[in-house]
Amino acid sequence: MRVPWLRLLIVPLVVLPLAWLLFTGLGRDPRLIPSPLIGKPMPAFVGTTLEGDRFSSADLAGKPAIVNFWASYCIPSCVDEHPVLLDLAERYGEGVQLVGVLVNDTPDGARGFLARYGQVSWPTVLNTDGGISIDYGVTGPPETFFVDARGVVVARHVGPLTAAVVARELAALGLTP
Amino acid sequence: MRRWALPIAVAALLALAALVLVELLRPAAAPTPAEQAQQVAGDLRCPDCQALSVAESQTAAAAAIRRQIVEQLAAGSTPEQVRAYFVARYGEWILLVPTSPFAWWIPAAAVLLGIGGLAWWWRRGRATVAPVMQPVAGRAVREQIRDEVEQLDA
Repeated sequence: MRVPWLRLLIVPLVVLPLAWLLFTGLGRDPRLIPSPLIGKPMPAFVGTTLEGDRFSSADLAGKPAIVNFWASYCIPSCVDEHPVLLDLAERYGEGVQLVGVLVNDTPDGARGFLARYGQVSWPTVLNTDGGISIDYGVTGPPETFFVDARGVVVARHVGPLTAAVVARELAALGLTP
Repeated sequence: MRRWALPIAVAALLALAALVLVELLRPAAAPTPAEQAQQVAGDLRCPDCQALSVAESQTAAAAAIRRQIVEQLAAGSTPEQVRAYFVARYGEWILLVPTSPFAWWIPAAAVLLGIGGLAWWWRRGRATVAPVMQPVAGRAVREQIRDEVEQLDA
């Protein structure tokens, strides 16, 4: 009882750092982690598309691009963002190039998804060995990277795209519908 | 009890120091490529799991990373280079063991604080309990009792 102030001091000394640790440590979420790719040239990739064509990311040069990682098993997130992608392709037209990349999925699974939720006008690369996912540091579908006309990654969005996110990121690239 | 505290503490510290020394001086056997790959995989977080390493996880993403680790080591990269390769793509997040020294100081500070708190608590406990045990009979009383008993016996 000689030093009650010391006891009072123990509470903030012990509780506050613990609370801070718990808050910052356990609250960590892969969605909130910024990509180290931002500001860097997009990782190049080549592959076969769902249609059997060859695709090279070098073909994207000169125009802003959206690289969208998706999978047919990614429900409901990929289902939710599908109409957003269809809408953006229609509204922005030639202004932006879209390319899909499959994440741990079979071509048949992806084709079934498109048949069910709507065919798309842009290519989807198969990414059979998962190498493209690693190069982009993808934690899981859906994940989307926005690339400027010089081929530099400017933004990463983890989780389903929304019309608001698309409008914001494309406006940052100087694009309007 | 208190007499033994210091020797025990010193002995424990010496034993710990000896262990660390043995661990440091032990000739390290060169790890095989498979062991190296396993070790790097153990250091990396599985990107689509919660709190599992790439070595432990069965997901396709973890398998793809394991494949790349083996390929890169076979191509001559050092384990550090392989780790850096994945950090450049996923960020520091991919490492299960933090590189920031701050991350090590906090637990060390917590342990020291805990030891300090325990020592303080222990000393305080002794200070209040120890003085209670005073002999009931003083020296003079005891001598008097002995004298009287001897007189009765005589």
